[in-house]
Amino acid sequence: MVDLITKITKSVDFIGAFDPKIRTFDIIMKTANGSSYNSYVVRGSEGVAIMDTVKKEFSEDFFKRLEFMCDYEEIKYIVLHHLEPDHSGALIELMQKAPKAKLIISGRAVMMLKGLIKSDIEFEVANTGRIISLGDKTIEFLSTPFLHWPDTMSSYLHEEKVLFSGDVFGSHYYDERLFDDEVGDFSYAFKYYYDHIMRPFKQYVLQALKLYDTFDIKVIAPLHGPILRTNPQFYIDKYAQWSSEAKFRKHEFGKKMLSVFYMSSYDNTHLMAKKIMDGADSVEGVVASMYDLASLDEQNMIDLLEESDAIIIGSPTINGDAVKPAWDLLSCMAFLESNGKIGASFGSYGWTGEAPEMLHDRMRWLKFRLPVRPLKIKLIPTEDEQQSCFEFGVEIAEITMGKMVEMEMEI
Amino acid sequence: MVSVSLQDDNIRVKVPKGKTLRQVAATTGASMEFGCRVGDCITCVARVKSGMIYLSEKNEKELKALEILGGNVSQLRLMCQCYVRCEEGEIVISYAV
Repeated sequence: MVDLITKITKSVDFIGAFDPKIRTFDIIMKTANGSSYNSYVVRGSEGVAIMDTVKKEFSEDFFKRLEFMCDYEEIKYIVLHHLEPDHSGALIELMQKAPKAKLIISGRAVMMLKGLIKSDIEFEVANTGRIISLGDKTIEFLSTPFLHWPDTMSSYLHEEKVLFSGDVFGSHYYDERLFDDEVGDFSYAFKYYYDHIMRPFKQYVLQALKLYDTFDIKVIAPLHGPILRTNPQFYIDKYAQWSSEAKFRKHEFGKKMLSVFYMSSYDNTHLMAKKIMDGADSVEGVVASMYDLASLDEQNMIDLLEESDAIIIGSPTINGDAVKPAWDLLSCMAFLESNGKIGASFGSYGWTGEAPEMLHDRMRWLKFRLPVRPLKIKLIPTEDEQQSCFEFGVEIAEITMGKMVEMEMEI
Repeated sequence: MVSVSLQDDNIRVKVPKGKTLRQVAATTGASMEFGCRVGDCITCVARVKSGMIYLSEKNEKELKALEILGGNVSQLRLMCQCYVRCEEGEIVISYAV
């Protein structure tokens, strides 16, 4: 039997579902405390709005709560802040039960909706500033894309100062007491969620926070975990801090960080790394460092990648491939934001020499800026080749410092 | 060739007629966001600050996408769909819309 009454504010009720048994979310996230799929009903004098749905398997709880709160004929709007299946799983059934309701999604959600529903359904698009009315209640939409899908948006209930933040400020933390001041200690879940879901999109977090800052927020109603009502600013400040943390070196010296990661079989790629680092380090404003991939664990890799403004990866070619630690390093980018980071690759080779080009391609898909072609040297670098490595480092460091990249595309 | 400046990345590249902005991004390693790369998802929408006349006309996919976005979209383009259509000129692009 579900508890049918969970009042958030005078006009907002929780109608979501709890998933206490889930232990792995989205394949990659551990959820030691389960999770919740938060959905809300907003009641106005001229109808209600349903804010998101739940994962399909939990539809029964969702509809029980919804039916306790309102009649389907009263539903004027269905708002989907984020279309991932854990929030859109009950959408089709809801639209069938409430055929008069208007579906509202963001512009970037349109094709995702089609991909999920696989049929044409009617919808309206809401951009920042779009307002809907429920009579005495007003909901304003805010475009907050890429948090953590392109489609994500937020909304704000003016009369009760409630921010429906989508996945932003979420936690995978099951606790039916629901409010941040009543549930157990969910601080680790809040940070873990940020690290795994929002950290790769820091710049978009900061953009969203700027938008949120124009509203007086009393309650944050996210799509997962506790509802934040005691001091919403505390959570906003945490996100701001995590998203704009000045890193150790930069903070201390105001310099740009350039990291050279390498692995070497016969010391040749190591020699290239050293020369590249020397070249980079000769550029005013840059601190260059080099790291042997053989001795880095994953957490070191993530932290170093995050701190670095430019990342240069060196690998020899073994059996036509880059070495595994180089791929492991790049796989850590799943936790980070690569936009704006400068990337480059290099390596000594004896036979075929594909590794630098392969790393370059991988970095392109990871959205690094790749202003220079990979540098390959056959076996032992000569004096001239060592000078090329030095200049390669200088070039990348200068671009990191803001030098305009002038290029010409081939016809 | 047409000079294309990608302001957010500090990149200026000379682009031959016929190349799409997606190709420009791939070649230069620009950091603009792409999704489907075929004009459906609207992920790659960006603002053409100047030089719109040197780009191709908006195709059906773009027109549909921009209609979905709504508002003042006169300067917006899908980077995966538009291409350089002139031999000379200057285009300035910002990723912020």
